[in-house]
Amino acid sequence: MAGRNVGRKRGGQQETFFDYTLLFIVLFLLGFGLVMLYSTSSYEASMEMGDSAYYLKKQVASTVLGLIVMMVIANIPYHFWERFAFLGYVVSVVLILLVLTPLGIEANGARRWINVFGISLQPAEVAKLAMILFLASLVCKMGRSIRTPKGFMIMLAAPLPICAEVYLVTKNLSSAIIIFGIAVLMVFVSSPDYKKFILIGLAGIAVCALAVYLIVNAADSDSLSFRGGRILAWLDPEAYADGKGFQTLQALYAIGSGGIWGKGLGQSMQKLGFLPEAQNDMIFSIICEELGLFGATAVMLLFLLLIWRFMVIANNASDLFGAMLVVGVMGHIAIQVILNIAVVTNTIPNTGISLPFISYGGSSVLFLLAEMGLVLSVGRGIKLKDL
Amino acid sequence: MIKNKTYNRKKIVTVFFLCMFAFLGLMGRLLYLMVADSAYYTEKAKELHERERSIKAARGRIIDTNGTVIADNKTVCTISVIHSQIKEPDKIVGILSRELELSEEYVRKRVEKYSSIERIKSNVDKETGDAIRAYNLAGVKVDEDYKRYYPYGSLASKVLGFTGGDNQGIIGLEVKYEEYLKGQEGTILTVTDAKGVEIDKAGEERVEPVPGNDLYISLDMNIQSYATQLAKQVMETKEADRVSIIVMNPQNGEIMAMVDVPEFDLNNPYELPKTMDTGNLTQEQTQEILNGIWRNGCINDTYEPGSTFKIITAAAGLEEGVVTVNDQFHCPGYIMVEDRRIRCHKIAGHGSENFVQATMNSCNPVFITVGLRLGVDNYYKYFTRFGLLKKTGIDLPGEAGTIMHKKEDMKAVELATVSFGQSFQITPIQLATTVSGIINGGNRVTPHLGVMVADREGTQMKSFSYPVTKNVVSEETSATMRMILEQVVESGSGKNGYVEGARVGGKTATSQTLPRGSGKYIASFLGFAPADNPKVLALAIIHNPQGVYYGGQTAAPVVRQLFENILPYLGEMDYN
Repeated sequence: MAGRNVGRKRGGQQETFFDYTLLFIVLFLLGFGLVMLYSTSSYEASMEMGDSAYYLKKQVASTVLGLIVMMVIANIPYHFWERFAFLGYVVSVVLILLVLTPLGIEANGARRWINVFGISLQPAEVAKLAMILFLASLVCKMGRSIRTPKGFMIMLAAPLPICAEVYLVTKNLSSAIIIFGIAVLMVFVSSPDYKKFILIGLAGIAVCALAVYLIVNAADSDSLSFRGGRILAWLDPEAYADGKGFQTLQALYAIGSGGIWGKGLGQSMQKLGFLPEAQNDMIFSIICEELGLFGATAVMLLFLLLIWRFMVIANNASDLFGAMLVVGVMGHIAIQVILNIAVVTNTIPNTGISLPFISYGGSSVLFLLAEMGLVLSVGRGIKLKDL
Repeated sequence: MIKNKTYNRKKIVTVFFLCMFAFLGLMGRLLYLMVADSAYYTEKAKELHERERSIKAARGRIIDTNGTVIADNKTVCTISVIHSQIKEPDKIVGILSRELELSEEYVRKRVEKYSSIERIKSNVDKETGDAIRAYNLAGVKVDEDYKRYYPYGSLASKVLGFTGGDNQGIIGLEVKYEEYLKGQEGTILTVTDAKGVEIDKAGEERVEPVPGNDLYISLDMNIQSYATQLAKQVMETKEADRVSIIVMNPQNGEIMAMVDVPEFDLNNPYELPKTMDTGNLTQEQTQEILNGIWRNGCINDTYEPGSTFKIITAAAGLEEGVVTVNDQFHCPGYIMVEDRRIRCHKIAGHGSENFVQATMNSCNPVFITVGLRLGVDNYYKYFTRFGLLKKTGIDLPGEAGTIMHKKEDMKAVELATVSFGQSFQITPIQLATTVSGIINGGNRVTPHLGVMVADREGTQMKSFSYPVTKNVVSEETSATMRMILEQVVESGSGKNGYVEGARVGGKTATSQTLPRGSGKYIASFLGFAPADNPKVLALAIIHNPQGVYYGGQTAAPVVRQLFENILPYLGEMDYN
């Protein structure tokens, strides 16, 4: 496949590479996402906003802006950004804190956005991109010292301030998890060690299991926190059908009623006000309902193709910095897709994670496309003779 | 520039495969949810999306022994408007007010009201409903519904009973046979969004109602109709409070007619008599009056049977052998029981008489003597054996029990009064049933109306059988009783019950109502025919007749007239 992506000759002898496969997959996902977004949101938009294309229009605007940003970034050699790595980190810290200032915007009971020149922006999305850039540059700076325990600890500690900030300031556990997950993946790739990561993984599973065990045992006492309730609702959504389990249950109704071939595009019933946040975090369940197992699997395969392209580019990147950037983006998208689908299928407890390129959300699509620009830029650095 | 190292590449590949495994896991999860669990979640989602409207099931009919439908359903319509679907409000107001005979103002107010569905009028005739439907007006809904309808109005009202707003039985057979009659409600499922707004394109799904089954009863509306007529007549001429008539088949307990005038209009059961001042009645008072109106005196109330009960004393005495038909008695006009002097109705006394003559004379001292010869133990034994202590088990709700002395409280005086039918109370149906058992050869039958249940096409679904207690008296005693009672009608106190060309047996009774000395009487006559092989038994009870109050003069003619009409009809008249 990659063989077909041979760029045209440019002036001299050297042939450059442009990953049209990746670009096509991204464009396809964006187009598909807009169709699904319109299908999912039109009923509610026409009822609530008086304009069935209300959400679609906003998303198209963000997408167009994002595509421009992507093409610009794709044409800038990615090393240009290395100098902003630390600055990006600092800006993220500041932006997240701005949420607490009057610039912060509250929506759906959560204060996660800031208002920048009339545009609402989610600092957590900025932080994800900044973190990828910062860690990629850090890996390159640390060089061989990454193999030492100290280097390892520095790498793992680096994202923690931002994770803590996202969690504590914006009360957004899922973004904190994603940022930390990106960091862990990048450290994993940059370090030759396996054992430590297996141990970390096992420890993580053990902590989760213990937490679930404690919460289930404490279920009778009413001292349960917000998240504790979510765990219980996860284990038995029908028992909490009127509360914490409501959204999950509605998502399951949507998914289950889709069957193998789905009800057909636009035929979802659950989007008619039954499933809260249908066009955001829960859009995948509407895809399942309308397009069935067939459509859902096709979407997942597209994402897998996307991740495969990331792998190819990362493995052929001309230097470690480029490779690490792509690994970061790969981690970001993979983690979000996996967690999103796991949430809507009630495989893990409910937490708000959007589906990249498809869920409604301007900041998200804008920064994802910026990341795509970076990946394409890294791809451009590949010398064909290296392939 | 730091180059990509081999281990970096290996790890990137590892990450890719980790992702792939996660994806495969999630696809597995999806496969499970969307294939294995699909039916479950589809059903759940459907329940959530559909709004249910119930459709009443047609209630089963009640059909008499001749196949005449006596309780039926009428299709009525409910007219409503759905505001959001209305296109031509003025036209709708015009048509609806004209067709439904409502003021334009009234209709306009409802048509213009912002509501999901607004009812304009219910219980509209089907013709009117069809006419409105034919206009095909957008936003006007004509829903068909069933309403119980009784073609015979007040006939057998207390037996049939009526139904309430949800088509459920309230009293009488309607409530007793509810499970067979009611059928199963259907539903109209409408798909809606989360706010309950109907989704047009989805259409409606109907679960058709299952109509109830028809109940076939033993009642004969011809006999019922004639008996009611007689009862009304005698109630009017004797200015009586109430007249009850039971006509049953003594061989199997089937009720042919059960009258308790005044009856009420089944199509309008909540209407109070026009003569009543209903101005300042509380709801409770109204309900109390209605309960009184709906009360079936034949089974819900007890009375002192009086001399008709001598049939029981006679049967017990003959069965026990303490008396024979040829036993001679002497009636001086009274009898001493312990220190009490109990008078005969003929103050001068009947003089010398045998047992048959004593029964023809309805002589109290003789029956007291028979009762005393039996003794409390034996009397109680027969009272119990004849089934008098238990309810008859008739298939109508609210049957009253017998009010009787406790055995340990029963002394000679109580025994003496019970022997000629006083100082205790039974229901009319109990008397008719007990006498049936005595004259039909000794089989205590269960009085009943329900014969079978069949579907609309007449295919039998269930046939009812009722318990029979055999040999409560011997065939011999039974035959003797038939003979004695035929004598009573032929040339005794019951001669007004005589029907030319037929063999009728019977017994009269005149009892004073409690408290004694109130001047109120109950006149009654129990007759059966043909006397040698009874096919029909009738009991007429007149409450508080004015003027002549003797059972022989007031109640016996009622049964005679009844028999004169129904015996030829039943094919039991011997014209030779």
